[in-house]
Amino acid sequence: MNARGVLRLGLLAACAATATSAMAAAPIVGDAKNGATVATACQACHGAQGEGIYAAGFPRLAGQTAVYLEKQLNDYASGTRANPVMAPLAKGLSAQQRADVAAHFAGLSPPSAAPNTAGDANAIARGRVLGRQGDESKQLQACGNCHGPEGRGEAFAAPYLAGQSATYITSVIKEWKSGARKNDAGQLMAVVANRLDDADIAAVAAYFESVGPLP
Amino acid sequence: MTQVMKATDVVIIGVGMVGSIIAKELAAAGYKVVGLERGPPRFTVPDFQSPGAHDELRFDVRKALMQDNTREAVTFRNQSAQTALPIRRWESFLPGTGLGGSQVHWNGQTYRFQAQDFEMASHTRKRYGDKFLDPDLRIQDWGVTYADLEPHYDRFEYLLGTSGKAGNLKGKIQPGGDPFESARSREYPTRPMKEHYSGAMFRKAANELGYHPYPQPSSNLSEPYTNPEGLKLNTCVFCGFCERFACEHYAKAVPQTFILPVLMKNPNFELRTGCQVQRINLDSSKTKATGVTYIDAAGREFEQPAALVITCSFALNNVRMLLLSGVGKPYDPESGQGVVGRNYAYQTMSTVASFFDKNVIINPFMASGASGTLINDFAGENFDHSKLGFVGGSFIGAVNTNGRPINYHPVPPGTPAWGAGWKKAVADHYNHTVMFSLHGSSMAQKQNYLDLDPTYKDAWGQPLLRMTFEFPKNDLKMAEYVTGKGVEIGKAMGAKQVVGTPRKGPYTVTQYQTTHNTGGTVMGDDPSTSVVNRYLQVWDVPNVFVIGASNFPQNASWNPTATIGALTYWAIDALTNKYLKNPGRLVSA
Repeated sequence: MNARGVLRLGLLAACAATATSAMAAAPIVGDAKNGATVATACQACHGAQGEGIYAAGFPRLAGQTAVYLEKQLNDYASGTRANPVMAPLAKGLSAQQRADVAAHFAGLSPPSAAPNTAGDANAIARGRVLGRQGDESKQLQACGNCHGPEGRGEAFAAPYLAGQSATYITSVIKEWKSGARKNDAGQLMAVVANRLDDADIAAVAAYFESVGPLP
Repeated sequence: MTQVMKATDVVIIGVGMVGSIIAKELAAAGYKVVGLERGPPRFTVPDFQSPGAHDELRFDVRKALMQDNTREAVTFRNQSAQTALPIRRWESFLPGTGLGGSQVHWNGQTYRFQAQDFEMASHTRKRYGDKFLDPDLRIQDWGVTYADLEPHYDRFEYLLGTSGKAGNLKGKIQPGGDPFESARSREYPTRPMKEHYSGAMFRKAANELGYHPYPQPSSNLSEPYTNPEGLKLNTCVFCGFCERFACEHYAKAVPQTFILPVLMKNPNFELRTGCQVQRINLDSSKTKATGVTYIDAAGREFEQPAALVITCSFALNNVRMLLLSGVGKPYDPESGQGVVGRNYAYQTMSTVASFFDKNVIINPFMASGASGTLINDFAGENFDHSKLGFVGGSFIGAVNTNGRPINYHPVPPGTPAWGAGWKKAVADHYNHTVMFSLHGSSMAQKQNYLDLDPTYKDAWGQPLLRMTFEFPKNDLKMAEYVTGKGVEIGKAMGAKQVVGTPRKGPYTVTQYQTTHNTGGTVMGDDPSTSVVNRYLQVWDVPNVFVIGASNFPQNASWNPTATIGALTYWAIDALTNKYLKNPGRLVSA
């Protein structure tokens, strides 16, 4: 984790401490070492180092922030991110185990698992425009406002997209559209997803896949 | 060589918030409307997108969205006996330029004024007697009432999607809202913003002291909203880059999000940017405007004939446009005669800083422009002034708009201004300080006014506007009083040190206070004390309307935007239902 990330994590932890002192509950702190043991259950789909499986659309987890990963596991368990495969797995973990496994994957940085094939150049070009600039005619702001330049992520608010497979990104945007996923604050992603048609979904998916994982 | 353009029904000077709304309504009603904007065209995409949108040096320090004062400045002096000099760096107030106007860089604080504000002169006489006011003050009634404006406030809030909690619905006090507000006909269009931690602390302390805290009305929205124009606004992400910046998320209500996409599609409307209006042209009788003359970005001069001229640029520029055009009689502070430039007022801003121990984590950077918690117990006429010797008041609130690294660094008095001691103090206090905003009213007084500068000219050779302004004693007394109340709240919050800074004179243009410049083309019922009648129509030239904060006879305890919006719809109502059907004076002088 970079220095800025450490600083922000410190602030969040401090913030959580303030909030929880009123609620009289101890904050959960993830333990990456314990998480490595839990993670054996994840490896078949997400790869030994959290690199994901491109062809199957199983996302890359390595290097996402622990805050993001833990929230997703909690949301799979609660149902605000509906997924028939992940829900029982997340429910099977304790809150502490979810934090642990999130800490584990957050600390990994394996090379890309992407196949060495170029996507549709026109789709990538359109996706780059949406990613960097947006589209006024659709009242769509750029993805990079929240997901960072080239989709490298904005700790801890928004996950990285760079280096995820097009298959995964497409499926997630469709989950936002259908309402299967509704774990965003203020419907931020639902609003955006509903302004993307199929061609634009394919475009942003192809673009962020083409970027590849960023440090 | 002046090129004469094809005549149009309506020409609008300044396509900001007011201009966009008026143009939309008149174009929809079938009139041909030309909008002249001196600045550039700009839209959320691509102009407001990150990472450029969050460049604090460019937008906050160097004021990239503001009027270009290398071409068009304002000169300033405190008193008539002094020589005014041009303001070369905007600091005290920040007039914007470009499509969407100053609203593009606003914080979204969206208050209504109270019923008494519109009848301040008669109300003050009735409650405190004829001799209560300092004789230098020029307080007067607006010529409209809150009841006149309520439907228009409502329409404006629903256009923007303002997030808030009603405190008085049709006369019935609502828990959680502001119990002092004048009755509103319905709830805010969207729920209040999430409360900041500093706001929660403020709320608790204010409640303990018996005050009435409520969530600040915000036009950075709390949830997705579709307005009556069919336009969609998004949820604010609390990035802390509202004021002085444009919003990249379609979450801040600005013309680009709430009206321009509809206006731009109407073939009756033509937008011309980069057009610097030089003057409103009058016929030989001087009682009828024939159109305007402007210079485009290539330096070419055009005349745009029009049946109706509406000037709705920034308040200061509205005043200047009338002075440059010879519309209305200029105010003379010696004789007290004349009206244009009279009753210039501002806002009397004070602060309270509450410094906490390091275990109190404020996280000031998680912020939105109008997500504060505040009280109106000491605003306007909500408290008895009879033994206080002043009129007016201030809202007091924990209004945490940002924690931006270059300009947000609260430190206690006695901190060195630079070096290791300063750095240590910034690090010690950045995350452990709550700043209150005390947003005080501003009374017009005889000595404060706007006129044309005799020496300095703009890039087109026209005289600059000259501002002569000093804080009235009345307002400094008010600031002292309300700051004391703010300090009590800071102490009740448990701060280890509370520092109140009441506004003091002399007024300086080198320190940021607020961009709420008001008056100069004030509205009223009497042509000898107002420039425009109650419908915002110029008394002397009935086919010229002036709309903006320049219409305020004096300024109240709250931000002016919603009142400007209400006046805009009020004027539109008069234009479409009265004036345009039968052009002429709407009120006999």
